[in-house]
Formats: sequence, structure tokens, C-alpha cells
Amino acid sequence: MQLGVLAAVLLIAVLVFVWRAAMAYPAGEQEALEQPVPFSHKHHVGDDGIDCRYCHSSVESSAFAGIPPLSTCMTCHSQLYTDQTVLAPLLTAYRSGVAFHWQRLHKLPDFVYFNHSIHIAKGVGCVSCHGQVDEMPLTARVAPLTMQWCLACHRNPAPQLRPADQVFNLHWHPDPSAATGPQLLQVYHIDMQRLTDCSICHR
Amino acid sequence: MSPLMPSLPFDLEAARAHLAAARGPVFWRSLEELADNAGFVHWLRQQQPQLAQALSLDRRGFLQFMAASLALAGLSACGHPPQDQIVPYVQAPEGQIDGLPRFFATTLMREGYARGVLVENRMGRPTKIEGNPLHPASLGATDIFAQAAVLQLWDPDRSQTLMNRGVTSTWDAFAAAVVQATERHARDGGARLRILTGAITSPTLSAQLGAVLEKFPGATWHVHEPLGNANAHAGARLALGVPLATRLRLDRAKTILSLDADFLSDPAAGVRYARDYAATRAPESNQGTPSRLYVVESTPSLTGGMADHRLALEAARIERFARLLARELGINLEVSGAEDAQHQRWLNAVLTELKANRGASLIVVGASQPAWVHALGHLLNDALGNVGTTIEYTDPVERNAAQAGTLSELVGAMQAGRVDTLWILDPNPVYDAPASLRFDEGLTHVPHVIHLGLYRDETGMRAEWHLPMAHQLESWSDARAYDGTASIAQPLIAPLYDGRSAAEVLAMVLGQTPQGRVLVRKQWQDQLPDESSWNAALQQGLIPNTSLPPRTAMVSTAFLTQIKPPPPAAAALELLFRADPTIGDGSWANNGWLQELPKPMTQLTWDNAALVSPALAAQHQLNNGDVIELRLAERVVQAPVWIMPGQAARSVTLHLGYGRRQAGRIGDGRGVDAYRLRTPANPWVESGLQIRRTGARAELASTQHHFNLEGRDLLRVGTWEEYRSNPHFATATDPYPGTPPSLYANRPPGEYAWGMSIDLNACIGCKACTIACQSENNIPVVGKDQVQRGREMHWIRVDRYYEGDAANPRAYSQPVPCMMCEHAPCEVVCPVEATVHDAEGLNLQVYNRCVGTRFCSNNCPYKVRRFNFLQYADDTTDTLKAQRNPEVSVRRRGVMEKCTYCIQRIQTAHIEADKQDRRIRDGEVLTACQAACPTQAIRFGDLSDAGSAVAQAKASKRDYVMLGELNTRPRTSYLARLRNPNPLLGEDPT
Repeated sequence: MQLGVLAAVLLIAVLVFVWRAAMAYPAGEQEALEQPVPFSHKHHVGDDGIDCRYCHSSVESSAFAGIPPLSTCMTCHSQLYTDQTVLAPLLTAYRSGVAFHWQRLHKLPDFVYFNHSIHIAKGVGCVSCHGQVDEMPLTARVAPLTMQWCLACHRNPAPQLRPADQVFNLHWHPDPSAATGPQLLQVYHIDMQRLTDCSICHR
Repeated sequence: MSPLMPSLPFDLEAARAHLAAARGPVFWRSLEELADNAGFVHWLRQQQPQLAQALSLDRRGFLQFMAASLALAGLSACGHPPQDQIVPYVQAPEGQIDGLPRFFATTLMREGYARGVLVENRMGRPTKIEGNPLHPASLGATDIFAQAAVLQLWDPDRSQTLMNRGVTSTWDAFAAAVVQATERHARDGGARLRILTGAITSPTLSAQLGAVLEKFPGATWHVHEPLGNANAHAGARLALGVPLATRLRLDRAKTILSLDADFLSDPAAGVRYARDYAATRAPESNQGTPSRLYVVESTPSLTGGMADHRLALEAARIERFARLLARELGINLEVSGAEDAQHQRWLNAVLTELKANRGASLIVVGASQPAWVHALGHLLNDALGNVGTTIEYTDPVERNAAQAGTLSELVGAMQAGRVDTLWILDPNPVYDAPASLRFDEGLTHVPHVIHLGLYRDETGMRAEWHLPMAHQLESWSDARAYDGTASIAQPLIAPLYDGRSAAEVLAMVLGQTPQGRVLVRKQWQDQLPDESSWNAALQQGLIPNTSLPPRTAMVSTAFLTQIKPPPPAAAALELLFRADPTIGDGSWANNGWLQELPKPMTQLTWDNAALVSPALAAQHQLNNGDVIELRLAERVVQAPVWIMPGQAARSVTLHLGYGRRQAGRIGDGRGVDAYRLRTPANPWVESGLQIRRTGARAELASTQHHFNLEGRDLLRVGTWEEYRSNPHFATATDPYPGTPPSLYANRPPGEYAWGMSIDLNACIGCKACTIACQSENNIPVVGKDQVQRGREMHWIRVDRYYEGDAANPRAYSQPVPCMMCEHAPCEVVCPVEATVHDAEGLNLQVYNRCVGTRFCSNNCPYKVRRFNFLQYADDTTDTLKAQRNPEVSVRRRGVMEKCTYCIQRIQTAHIEADKQDRRIRDGEVLTACQAACPTQAIRFGDLSDAGSAVAQAKASKRDYVMLGELNTRPRTSYLARLRNPNPLLGEDPT
């Protein structure tokens, strides 16, 4: 019986290690993955000034921000850089109708239900989680996306809030002299009581 | 003796003594409980072991275990989980917002009749079915079959390819075979061509069929519908001269007499009838007198369970009852047999009331009754002035089956060698034809058999050509509802397996392009001339102004002379054939949700059984699970016994639909094939049954004892009289009235306070809620073995209670979801805080925290928590994964789960409302059970809003909570059931 208990304790310890390894991200923070097309947010957002929503069109209405269909790429690239070899996979995929696969950077566990649209509506800027993508030639994940990291903001959201018209502005900074955050909590009617409920992310 | 089976001898006398000694209402779930046999408690404990054996290891075991653990540890070095990928669209589908569901109106058919539905489509996958509020047969609700249709679509056992003589083939090869066949038929005008279908209401299919019959004038169309309404059609022809359709207006009826009619389960209109019926019984909205329902039936049904007075009579005695009734209403019919004082008293009470409510009474005759009783029903309704008020006649909805041949005629032609090609479009006669017809033998004389079906079933295996049929959610079609309303069925997804619809296959015969949309569009070109009207019809899910107007009909009395004199009262047993409550005629046998759904009256899962009355069981010393031999002349079948309270003493019921041989992995080899005893002459009842004990036993999985609550006062029932004199009767028996003080601090109120109210007075026990919940919340099917161990996973169960004598008890249904206690006993015992409260009063279950101690379940007084003892969720079958709701976690082994009030729906509405900076509107969140409920018995919403529907329901004086004395303060409460017994008959159910 005592051995049984010991075995159980050891098994649990081993399982915890296995579990932690299994839950880890394939790619680390700040680590760009090789993509079928070396898409540059720096070029599209930083240089060309394309709004986030031009491609991530469902970010204001759905849980999922949206990965643009290849037809969106082709609005420009049917004319621009059509002879570049790096764009060849795009053109081939578009003509053949068989899309290539992007390597996913931001992945939450299946029991987490993150919703982009409510964060946008309540004044959380893209940059808060995705970083200065306008300065990333190749996109990397900048946040750990752990529960602890999520909760840090859910416990104290004020510092991350910005006016509704600045949500997509990657270079907006709060005026240090103004108490913007606490005011915005009132403006957005954020129910702090709920923000740390399990049900807000898990169902 | 199996440890899992009830094998206590049922002691009828002990049961009666127990009842006689009891005071006040006594509710019981099973005969064993009623008999209060000393062994019952012990046996139940054995059945539901609460303590697993403690972990014990010896030294050798420990070392083995450690070696396995180290090997496991090595796995952690294998690195990260696989890299996820995102596949973009090349062209995004029109109107789709990624991640948001879209709802499309379409039509599901059951036995040919349309029921309007809205199908939830998630990124191209149909995942959930809701009722269409605009459709007259739905009014927003569904039944279990509509809910389960989505699982049928994704069933991995569906036919996936054409088969030609057992070899895979292609549609092109089949097209070539069709050309040859049409050439053969062109030579003799189709004299050797036969087409077999089910009941047809689809205008497109009917037109296609008409065109084929026109092209080949010698061809014959046959109809085979194993549960069809042939007797009702024949009865209408007898009484009205034409086979008019009958439409009940239960909303106008004050007195309803059912002669073996289970109208609440009617395949075409049951959902609508249930709504209409419940509306006449709602005390809060119906200030006048409630309706009163009398039911005469042989075997318990949902309708019988709702009856204010129920008479359990054998089928032969129901005929006699009909004769007596007719005689009392002035129609001269011969009645034989001795008078029974009790029945005479019953009859007199019914008669008085029927006459007093002329024009507002209603006599409904069941499908199992012979044609002349149907005709008599028309005559009596006419005599009572009910035609045009509580009963309406319309032109027939179905394609006229009178022009069609019967299955018997087809078999005759086959055996005579007069059939060259037989097209079987959807039916499965090799399985579900009465065995005495010997349909399968007849097939051997037919050179070319072409079978179109969802499955390569018994018939498909025998066919020269088997064609995969497109599912209703994959194809274009149309159909009419019970009242004639036409609607279009549009595909929600391209056919998964290259299937085609029946209309498309007939198009091949006609040399047309087999494109369903073109065929349906052409059919409706006149009514819907432009694209905008067509699109509006698709969007609304019905074609406006197509319901058939009521028409007048002359009721003839000529048929009375043809009624044969009553047969001499036989002492012999009779065998009743009935549709299985959950798998119908057997075509749903491969549907795990339906197989595992406890059948409403028996609470049996996964099997059928010979239902016998307690008296017959006592006479033959039968216990549940004893296998008996059922013999009708030379036809013999062995079936396990289930003792059915309320069953007519000399009737034995065997449900159709089991004993499938080629249903698929779920349905094969389960239960007993009742078709082997059936004859075409007497499809519903056969007398002269002989039964014999075989000594063998079979294990049946019934859930009637599961989650037993030890006889506590959970169900509150009163009469309307009681309610009028003491509206608070439901809470009068509470040991601690009001809200007792608590040691736990009250939580601060949240923005909303979610709560639920379940009206037991409206609940008919159909269990649509259970299946809707299963579909919405990714609830797994566990299998018969696990059900026997009490491990079914349904988050909302429907308990069935009896009251009174076992020979004819009153029956009640009580749906039990999570009570969402404000002071939840489950939360305080969880060592890892996997079950906690949120700000809005929901008792949450956090799957990723749960370590599976099951303390919460042990401490739950309502037994609503379900544990994944094994890996129940199928994570290997791709099509089943596609059915799942992506908004709900799929639980793994070792995790506790339970009702969440459909938290995903609350959160979705919350986010939408918060984005628009407004409150969630009342009715914006419908839980899955609430949406499916045909009688709107379930209400859900915000209790902090006094105007919300749920707050108003809870304001009713009938409101009570389960086990209020425990001070758990449940957010789910009940409205007490009200019976409306006739004062002339008193409390006596019969």
C-alpha cells in the first residue's frame, strides 16, 4: 500500500514533466518560422501602411481574426512583383486553387476560447499581444500566451486600454500625464468582476 | 445471475400492499422499487458501486510500474507537439465571416413529411439542427429525429460508393446501365418495370415519378412505409369517399379522447401537436378551463403519459370500446361481450363530456386501429360537431398512394417473374417487409435490382446496383408538411460520398441532367418566378401560401353496414407491433445518440424487449431480462421481457426497428427483429400469441434506477382543483419553507443572474432536450456496457416517475439538468477548484483543471455530474470530429463534466452585447434544450430582470426547487405538474 502511494506520487511527477513538454510551443518567442512565402509585415504594414483589417478582416466581428484568402493577396500581387521567385508559391496556389499552408505562430490550447473581437471592441490594441509587427520582416510571436500572461492583463486591464480609434495604431502611446486607462475602463463598461472568471475563457 | 441485471422476482402483491400502506403521493420509478423488496436497496448498491477498490501494489508490481513510468518520462524528450498549420482559402466563400456560424433554413423529412429546420453551419460543416420558427410543423422546436439527423450525415458507416454486384463502380457506369434498362423498358412500355418508394410528399419527386410513369405507361409504382398510415387513409376513404388528410386543432379542443393515438409522437406533426396541446394546459396564460385528455391504449405512450384518465385495454377491447362509444352516440353497432362496470363508468364520464363540449371535443384514432375505427372516428367527430373546429380536412398531402401498388402486389409480381427491373428508392424491404411476405425470396426472381440508400443495408447487399443516396443535408429537394405547407430542402454541404437524391436518380431514367437544384427550381418556376421570391422561400424555409385550406367533406354512413360483427372475446394473448420510440422503423438503428437515448417509457437503451404487463409477468413468473419465446402460428422469435407498468394485461408489445443485420457498426445485431413476426394483413396487432419461458436471460440496459434519489420529494403534482384552492400547493410540503439562512456568504450579484425554469406541466417526456444537448455539447456515446454500469453521459436526463397501481399508473416526466446551486455542494469538495462559480451565478466545470477525483459528483445531491471513466469521445473518426461544436471543449478520459447552461451560447451573446455596449436581450440566449423543446417547457434567462420570461415563470405559484431543504439554492426550478381529472371519475386513473 505504501509502495502504491509512492508509485502514484512518482508517476504524477513524471506526468507533470511530460505534460509540460507536450504543452510547450513548437517555436519559441521571438523566433520566426519558415513560411511558404516569406511574408513581411514590415513591408506591408510599416512601409505600405496597409491597415490590419485589410487582411485580418474578421477581427472586429469574430473570435478568429481571419487569415486572408489568397484572392486578397492577389488584389495587389496580380500586378506587383509577379516575377519575384519568392511569390511563385502564391501564384501557383492561386492558379491551381490549392492553397499552401502557413505555419501557425499563435496557438492556444483547445480548451481556451480567445475572442479577438471583444478585445478590439474594448480597446486592447493589436500591439499589446502581437508586438510591433510593422517592424518584423518575418513575423514572430512576442508574447508567451500563457494563462499567467493572460491573467496579468485580465486582473489589471487599465494599462493596456486605448481609445477606440487607436486600437490599430501600432505607434500610439498613452499620455503619461493623463489617467487614460482607468477612464477607459469606465467608458468601455468593463465588468472587472467577470474578467477573471474561468468561464470567460474556458467552456 | 448477472450482477448487472435486476433479477429480483417482482411481487405484485407486495407492491400493492406497499402502495396501500403509503400516505400522500407515492412516486416510484420501477417495479422493484415499488415492491420495496428488502433486496432492492442492497441490489441497487451493488449496481452502483460508489467506491472503487483502493490502490494496492506489491513490490514486484511497484517495480513494473516504475519501469513504465521511466519509459514514459523518456517520451518527454521527444520534444514539442506537432506544428499547427493554417490553410487559407483561395477564394473566401461569399458572406462567410471566418469563425462565425451561419444558419440556413432547410427541410428534413420523416416518413415523407416535411419539418422545417435551421441548420447551423460552421465554416462549411453542418453541426447542429434547430427548429424553424416560421414552419408550421416546427414553430422553432424539433424532435429527437431532427436533432439526430446531423449525426446521420456524418455517420462513417454511410454508403460511400456505388456497388455493382459487389464491386465498386461509378455513376458513369451506372448511367450506361440505365440506358440499357430504358431500352429494355421502351420495348414493352415498361410492363416489367417497378419502382418502390416510401411515402412521397415532395412535389419534385412526385413530378419526376409521374414523368417516368408517363414515359413507361406499363410501369407500376409501389409504396412501402413500414410505419405508414395506411389504415387512416383507408378509413378516410370509407367515411369521406376520398382519402382526405386529417389535421388536428388541439388548440381548440376542450375534451380529447384518444383511441390508441399517440398524437404527441406523430412523425409528421407531433412537434406541432405537442405545442398546441400544451397551450391548452398552461395555467398562467390560460385562465379558462384546461383541456382534458382521455386515452385508451394498449401500450404506454407519451400521449398516454399525459392523459388525465387512461384506460389500458387490449387492442381487441379498444375496438369494443369504439363500438360502445358509437352506440351511446346513437350509431347502431353490434357489441359483444360482458359489460365491465368500471369501463362503463369511464365511458359514461367521457360521453357526458364529449356531448357537453360539442364542437370543442375531439376523438383521435391511432394509426394502429383498423380502417373502420378510423371511419367511425370521422363519423363521431361529425356527429359531435367537431369537423371544421377541432378537426379539419384537407386535400391529401401525400402523392396518392391509392394509385400505387402495395408491397404484397409487388412480391406477387416478383414471384411470378413479371419484374425485370426493380428500382428501390430509399426503402429497405429486405429488412423491414413483413417476413411472411418473403420479399427476399421474391428478389431472386428479379434480374435487375437497383437500390438507392443512405447505407448499403440489407436491401443494398442484395441489389445488382447499390447507389449511395445523398443525405437530406447534402441534396436539393422539397416536401410538404402535415398541413400541406411546401418547403425546399437545400444542401448544407456538398455530398460527402458522391451520393445522389432520388429525384436525381429518376432524372437519369428520364434522360435529364441529374442536378437537384435545376429539378427543384423548375418545379417551382410558376409559384416562384423570379430569383427574389425563390431566395425568400429558401431563406424563410417555406413557400408562402402553400398550406392546404380546410375543406368540407360529407361523412357517409354507408361503411357501417360493412363492419364485421365483433369477434368473440378471445382469452389469448395479442402481440402489438409499434415503432421504436428512438430508432423508428429501424432506419435510425446506426445512430448512437438515438440508440443510447433512454426510450421514454421503458428507459431502455440499445435494445428492444417484449413489453408485458405486471399481471402477465406474475402469471408466467417472468422477470425483467428473462428470454421468452413469442410464437404466432409458425413464426417464432425469442425476446427478453420487460415488465411495463400500464401495459394492457393481455397485450405484449414488441418494438420494430431492431435486429438489423446490415445497419452499420452501431446498429448491427442489436435487439430482436419484430418484422419476422409481422404480416401484411395485420401490421399492428396479431392475436393468438403464445409465450413460453426459455430459461435464458439477456442483459438489458435500462437507466430507470440511475441517479436514483432515494425516494426524496422531487416531483410535485397536483390537480387543477387543488391549484385553484391552494395555488402554493407545490411548496406546501417543503420541510423548511422559504430560504433558510446559510453559513456561506452570499456572492455579490453579477451583471446577470442566469436561471432556468422547467414546467413539468408542459413536459411530455419526449427527450428532444437530451439529444439537442448531446448535439450541442459534444456529449459522447458510451455504449451498452457502460450504460449498464450507470455511466451514460447525458447532461440533461429525463426521469420518469409512476404513481399508483402498477397495472395502470399515472406517469410523469422530469428533465434534470444541472441545478446551478448558488451554494453548490460540489464546489466545496473539489481539491483543485475545478468547479467554481462565476460572477453571473453559473456553476462552472473547468475541464483543464479537473483531475477526476469525483468528489463533486459524490457530493452532488441531484446527481447531474457525469464522469469520463474511459476515453468516450471518439478522437479518431474524422467525420465524427467534423460534427462537433467547435465552441465546446471535447472532454478526455478522467474528466468530470456537466450541464453548463450552454455557456458557449451565453458567452457568444455576452460578447455581442458587450461589443454593442448594451444588455443581453431576453430570449437572446436559448439553451439547446430550451430551443428544441416542443412545448416550451424550458425557459432560460436573466433572473435579475423581473420582466424576463424565466423570471415570470419563476414568479408562478407552482414554482418549487428540488431539495430546497438542503439550502443549495438552485437556479433551476420547476413548475409543478397539474392534472385535470374528471370529478365524475375522481382520482382513479382508470
